[in-house]
Amino acid sequence: MILRLFAIFFILLSSISAHPVIFKNGKVFWIAQNPSFNDIRFGISKTSNWLIGGRFLEDRKSNETFALINNNYLAKRWNNRNSQANLYLLSSAGMNTKNSEIMGNIGMHVDWEDRQFMVMQMLEYFSHNSSFVSNSRLAYSPYKVDYNRMSIWLIAHYSVEYQNEEYRHMFIPVIRLFKGNYLVELGSNGNNSFLTFMTHF
Amino acid sequence: MKNFLLFILLLGLGFSQSKVSIQDKEIEINENEAVVEVLGMVCSMCAFGIGEGFAKTDFIDKSKFTDGVSVDIDAQYVQLSLLESTNINPEKIVQVIEDAGYDVNLLFIHQNEKLTKFSKDKLGILQPIASNVSNKK
Repeated sequence: MILRLFAIFFILLSSISAHPVIFKNGKVFWIAQNPSFNDIRFGISKTSNWLIGGRFLEDRKSNETFALINNNYLAKRWNNRNSQANLYLLSSAGMNTKNSEIMGNIGMHVDWEDRQFMVMQMLEYFSHNSSFVSNSRLAYSPYKVDYNRMSIWLIAHYSVEYQNEEYRHMFIPVIRLFKGNYLVELGSNGNNSFLTFMTHF
Repeated sequence: MKNFLLFILLLGLGFSQSKVSIQDKEIEINENEAVVEVLGMVCSMCAFGIGEGFAKTDFIDKSKFTDGVSVDIDAQYVQLSLLESTNINPEKIVQVIEDAGYDVNLLFIHQNEKLTKFSKDKLGILQPIASNVSNKK
């Protein structure tokens, strides 16, 4: 048990992590469901570039569940007039809730956005099934809104999963709605669905 | 000489209006207010963190705007209502913006009947670059 705790600690130290990171001392609650995972997270941004929290992850294909510590690090942000770009390093480490085997996840996320366009690329590795997952997004907001109105984004979400020398591809159109500190994403391609709810407080 | 006097007169009128300009938008700034141009503030979730940060400070007059803070995402600025009794340190305002994850480009503070414009120098240190500025970037 002690060795496992050391291993988790080592993974957390050696693999800087994740997304999202929010304002200093801000808290985030995040639920996401995609064809591969059910994912629930709660985190606190200790600084404006480091968030740490808990994560409950369920692999929908293998029916395995994991209790993880999630560690997100904003490595670099480029703040410009009317646009922003980010580089995040992501990691989670913890245990399989059934057999206590150690599980880790590392990743990298880059994005650029202005008031109407957004591009995002995320790469992740999951140790429990030795899989690599790539998520790419192109997004467009049909109109600009001010602080108090609901913002709508139309997103083309493309993911590729590599596992056991096999690739799986998937495209899902997603609609993102956010207002104030609440964000909801809904997507479906007929066979698969996508759902995210996030709030900051 | 007449032209010079006219120039001084117009300049004086400009001061009394207390207007500043951010991204070509004219903003009226009253006594005990500050206007901050925020780089990277592209969405309401970004702005939410900035509002939360100022809500925890001791220099904001929450009776004006929304809890003392008004956000304009189009022109990328935040307007703050400052407590009259507080002689604000501009670094405190910059710290709140940076703790939210964003950068300050320009800062205007109108206190003690003086409007001062601040900008960061090459070392990233906030410097007053003009006093009683009006409608100038």
